[in-house]
Amino acid sequence: MLDAYVTALGMVLDPYVLFVITASAIYGLVVGCIPGLSATMATALLVPLTFFMPPVPAIAAIVTTSTMAIFSGDIPGCLLRIPGTPASAAYVDDSYKMTLQGKPELALGIGLWFSVLGGLFGTAVMMVASPAIADFALGFGSVEFFWIVMLGLGGAVFIGSSTPLKACISLLIGLMIAMIGMNNPAGQPRFTFDSTEMLGGVSLIPMMVGMFACSEVMRHMISDSSAPQVVVKKIGPIFANMWRLTKQYPWQLIRGSALGTVIGIQPGSGADMAAWMSYAMSKRFSKEPEKFGTGHPEGLIEAGASNNSSLAGAWIPALVFGIPGDSITAIAIGVLMMKNMAPGPTIFVNAPENVYALFLVFVIANLLMLPLGWAIIKIATRVLSVPRRVLMPIILVFAIVGSYAINNSLFDVGVMLAFGLLAFVLEENDFPVAPVILGVVLGPLLEEYFINSMIKSDGRLIGLVDRPIAAVLAAITIGIIGWTVIASMRAGKPDKETARS
Amino acid sequence: MKFNDLFAGLVVLALSGLVAFASWNLPNPSEQPLGPSAFPLILAGLLALCAAILAVNGARATNAGPLVGLADWARSGTAVLRLLLVPAAVIFYMFCAEPLGFLIAATAILVVLFVVGGTKPLQAIGFALATALAIHSIFYLGLGVQLPWGPLEPFRW
Repeated sequence: MLDAYVTALGMVLDPYVLFVITASAIYGLVVGCIPGLSATMATALLVPLTFFMPPVPAIAAIVTTSTMAIFSGDIPGCLLRIPGTPASAAYVDDSYKMTLQGKPELALGIGLWFSVLGGLFGTAVMMVASPAIADFALGFGSVEFFWIVMLGLGGAVFIGSSTPLKACISLLIGLMIAMIGMNNPAGQPRFTFDSTEMLGGVSLIPMMVGMFACSEVMRHMISDSSAPQVVVKKIGPIFANMWRLTKQYPWQLIRGSALGTVIGIQPGSGADMAAWMSYAMSKRFSKEPEKFGTGHPEGLIEAGASNNSSLAGAWIPALVFGIPGDSITAIAIGVLMMKNMAPGPTIFVNAPENVYALFLVFVIANLLMLPLGWAIIKIATRVLSVPRRVLMPIILVFAIVGSYAINNSLFDVGVMLAFGLLAFVLEENDFPVAPVILGVVLGPLLEEYFINSMIKSDGRLIGLVDRPIAAVLAAITIGIIGWTVIASMRAGKPDKETARS
Repeated sequence: MKFNDLFAGLVVLALSGLVAFASWNLPNPSEQPLGPSAFPLILAGLLALCAAILAVNGARATNAGPLVGLADWARSGTAVLRLLLVPAAVIFYMFCAEPLGFLIAATAILVVLFVVGGTKPLQAIGFALATALAIHSIFYLGLGVQLPWGPLEPFRW
């Protein structure tokens, strides 16, 4: 294992990889900082570029961008009360109050310092836990994997969503999109409408760019686009009080990091849910809960550590089982598959150095966040005044060219537009978009595991549950689904119409 | 476009019917007990179930509004036009990228979108040119993607 780490270190310290990491770090920080441009969108726009890179820098770009963007989403939340990414929304009241009290550097310092600590905590858990879980999972057959995918999809739809029924429909639509083409156990062309372009299935990159970038541009066109006014003129020393706060609130830091990692591991719930739950937890256990929401550092520390640690946590099921924890890891899994690094327990046996390189990128990205994060905070007031009405057209052209570039195909540009429109219509009607991506990424796997399991058992359904681990996984999955269905029936109204934005 | 849940449910129900119909008779060359039609049929069944529940909920809801309504933003004609500009720009690119070349097509799209966003025309043209050249450099020089040149072919670099 140590040998593999040395090899991995050599791969990561390659000048080209370091260049990619630094460039994606700056890109992630800037995009995350601009309100209306989410971490998911930053990652999706980057995917066409990673297509042209070798595996390690490609993954490094994705990891670094998402890590940086989640942190820098705190900046507009603090300075403008507009969270840059949904993951910063939980504690925006506290951090904005600090700004109003003339202490923006305190809120931003907490965001930066505790994001780094939380991110490193999550990374440490990932480095220790994922090889161990992978080792255990090596004995799994298609039946176990079928249930793990089911568990992941069930968790995504029934736990991470405020509208389970609509999330379920989104997921099924995604699974059906995955059926298009010849990529199925029988090798039969399905739903191709006799088009040769569709034989290979819907290309993942134009689809992701469309759903996460093109749809954002459309949403921008119907929203108020006036550039926000920044009131803060000067930002003081950022790291001044951080050591004192770390000693004052060590328990909050650990609890936030741990909960964030666990929520990240749970498929379907990502950084935004981690931040909300940690903020609520911090308030509940605090000695002075009445101070929350008035510019109090405690909740900021816990939730800030939590959302960054969840990013690393989400990679554990992604690497070990190929199950994305949120839409960013769904994109990342797409990139891994493109690079012939299909995730799964065998990846730790076949190409351990690639996985260790990914771990090291996480460490480097979190350490790099200290100096680069400091720099972006110092110039934040200028970044924030870049008008979105100038950025959005550029993003659209980038999305067009990125989709085209993969296969030099204008058909893919059409795919990008079609999925942009689909995502726009879905979101307008409160259908979440993330389950569609999960469905598309996991659909071929789910079908393959299902058909293989059924062939092994001669088509009898009992074959899905007659092995002990499979039976346990099945029980958990059915438990989650049943519990949600019963809970919503008790509530009288099967679907709460509270859209999460 | 704002659909009421009853309408959305019926649309999805129709979709599941179409998928079921299209997968019913898929050939099963290797004579497996579960052929290529099995999985899509299961999905279509589940989707139909979800859609039916959604439709029933929508029909029972008291404050559901019309079957197909307009979102608040859609009452403003300019917002609708601005929205339609996005698909229009992409479709324009699909049809004009080859004859006009990337640089001209992208500059045109950017100028229109910048001006609509409120940038002054001259500024918009300058900025659009610079952006198109920058994106072109990233993909053509940086990644080696062959972007179409159109009438600028003689000036290819």
